[in-house]
Amino acid sequence: MKVVATYNIKGGVGKTSAAVNMAALSAQDGLRTLLWDLDPQGAASFLFRIRPKVKGGARKLVRGRSDITELLRGTDVEGLDLLPADFSYRHMDLALDDAGKPTRVLGKVLEPLAEYYDVAILDCPPSISLVSENVFEAADGLLVPLIPSTLTLRTFEQLDSFVTERVSRPPEVIAFFSMVDRRKRLHRQVVEAFPDDRKDVARTAIPAATEVELMGVRRAPIVVDRPHSRAGRAYRDLWAEVRDRLVI
Amino acid sequence: MVLDAPTSTYLVPHGVDADAVTSYLAERLAVEADEPVIVETTVLDTVDRRLRAAGIELLLDDHRGAAHLTLRDHSGRPPLTTDVPPADGGAARSRFVLEDIPGGLLRQRLADVLEERALLPLVRLRLEAQAVRVLDEQDKTVVRLGVTSPLVLGATDPAQAFTGGEIDAPGGGVALTTRVVVAGVLGYPKPLAQVEALLTEGAGLRTAEGGAADEALRALGGEPDGLRTKVRVALTPDMRTDRAAIAVLDDLADIATSNIPGTLADLDPEFLHDLRVAVRKSRSVLRELKKAFPPEALARQRDALKWVQAITGEVRDLDVQLLDWSGLAAKASPDRRSALDPVHELVSRHRAEAVRRLATELQGPRFTEAWSSYRAFLAGDLGKAKKRPDAKEPIALTAGRRIRKVYSRMVEMGRAIDDDSPAEDLHELRKRGKELRYLLELFGDLWPTEVVKPMVKTLKGLQDVLGTHQDRAVQVESLRSLADELARQPDGPDALLALGSLVDGLEHEQHEARAHFAESFEPFAAKAQRKLVDTTFRGLP
Repeated sequence: MKVVATYNIKGGVGKTSAAVNMAALSAQDGLRTLLWDLDPQGAASFLFRIRPKVKGGARKLVRGRSDITELLRGTDVEGLDLLPADFSYRHMDLALDDAGKPTRVLGKVLEPLAEYYDVAILDCPPSISLVSENVFEAADGLLVPLIPSTLTLRTFEQLDSFVTERVSRPPEVIAFFSMVDRRKRLHRQVVEAFPDDRKDVARTAIPAATEVELMGVRRAPIVVDRPHSRAGRAYRDLWAEVRDRLVI
Repeated sequence: MVLDAPTSTYLVPHGVDADAVTSYLAERLAVEADEPVIVETTVLDTVDRRLRAAGIELLLDDHRGAAHLTLRDHSGRPPLTTDVPPADGGAARSRFVLEDIPGGLLRQRLADVLEERALLPLVRLRLEAQAVRVLDEQDKTVVRLGVTSPLVLGATDPAQAFTGGEIDAPGGGVALTTRVVVAGVLGYPKPLAQVEALLTEGAGLRTAEGGAADEALRALGGEPDGLRTKVRVALTPDMRTDRAAIAVLDDLADIATSNIPGTLADLDPEFLHDLRVAVRKSRSVLRELKKAFPPEALARQRDALKWVQAITGEVRDLDVQLLDWSGLAAKASPDRRSALDPVHELVSRHRAEAVRRLATELQGPRFTEAWSSYRAFLAGDLGKAKKRPDAKEPIALTAGRRIRKVYSRMVEMGRAIDDDSPAEDLHELRKRGKELRYLLELFGDLWPTEVVKPMVKTLKGLQDVLGTHQDRAVQVESLRSLADELARQPDGPDALLALGSLVDGLEHEQHEARAHFAESFEPFAAKAQRKLVDTTFRGLP
């Protein structure tokens, strides 16, 4: 099972949109796919019309006292299952801190699912915390959405060096530009100025588009609901790059 | 592995409309139904229905000139699809081997199941299909249904090895039973149970036993089970040896006969392989139970079968080389592999010529006469039992005696093998091993499984080592025989060098196999095993 996480220290940059669309595309490719909504806000769970509720909450889950297969829910996308969010995830750091080897707990939680799934996609809450460190340890690939701004490169490099230096088995980092508005000069300048020989930056950028914003209203991934839209095609290209890079 | 989201198929009684099923559910649950679509599709399978046995459904559709394949199974995996480009010359494909299918999940899923078998068109269907979803209060799908009304347009009978031509459905199509596939969604068992109860208890639908392809084949007079390779004869320990032997031989002859059309049409290499295995097993029965048969007639039939085995051997040897070509080429040093292409071409050409010769023989008078004489021998009167001392003996006594005898002879032969023994000694031991394997396979059901199964396992371990040893020797000899012909070709010198490197690799494997002989022989001939064989196969079970 390949584990891919979407991560950024900031919120509202397109993490959840990327996670749900990557997960739907993975299932459409015939891969048995799990999406774990780790964000206590439960946006991914909401999008799939699944109640953000985990019996026993975060503490029981990270202590390995829940039968994780009982918590999974099938989504409207055939082949894609969801491990829903729970409001108690806001205290997940505390639960993780209680465990031995606190940065490896989420990886352990996922282990029993490896025989059922080809791909697991983790939608992480924004912040640098014990949760994100766990995700870095568990992931084979880290998908990082970047909104074009003057500090983009610096923020990304900070994350990159953190992952390389602090993580025992660093994941492949794949950054991509998200919510790109070609009408904005700054967006164009940042995207164009970003060194294009960097292997850790995807060639595909996800455009800022109304249909992406409308996902929350339609409550379906754009690649399912509007597969031929500009954003739908961009997500498909991005997924192809991710599969290629991570050999999925 | 599959998580608990079961799928069931139900049959709608004749005379009940597909729409009625959807309406029935819609009156009781929140459902969303897509517009029905009509598609024409072809169900593919192998001649022995391997995909059906593995729970796989493979559909072929034309998709802008390319063949579009869709695979569904019970692995919890969403449907897998791929496009297969047209064959050379642009003709639409109807027969596929694994190499035709582009790399990816679908091919991976088929690889273990198909082995060397070809996929062939089983039935052509026109489906009116409607996707229906049961929703919860959030409008989320909690049960998926597929309502399908199939019409069979044509079928090819796998029991006739796909060579009987397509049977057209009369009147442009025969309507089959409407099916409702109900698929649970993980984590929502209650709505699934509710839908199942409504369909079975409420609407009176019954569970489908087989798939639409089976029903289609039956509707057109075909046999859905396809060709079989395993002998299916019910024997009892006290059955007369001659009758038991004839029953087994008759079944083997049926299996051999059923593989002839596929061999002639060269549909895939397994037809010839299965034909040869059936003939080899038959020869083994005639040899091991010879005292149940009249000596003169037996000698004639054994000669005839020996000849059949001989005429089919050349193509099989070449098949073995071509089937494992990539594995074989990998044994040459990496910088020489591409130089092996002319060798591959040469072997392919030799095979094509050998197939033509084999077809001539199998359709010629000698084979026709030999085979009908053999069948007449099996069907006829074997004569007085006086000249056949084992004829009336219970089969468990005679077969048990032979099992003990062949086993103890193998133990003797194996013990005599040391590092200086010639390769022929290992080959002879392997031949005996095949005899023992066939005795156990054909008559083993007469004894307790807990004895026979482990015995077959240790024998198989030994035979694998001996087989690798012998196969490599045959491959080396066969490849060396190409040297003169290769040398005359423009790219011959390079190919010869590559061939040398390949032969070195094969010889190395042959030596390795030999080094493993002692460790695989030891469990086979262990003291406890010898005692068990002696007590189990002595007297009536």
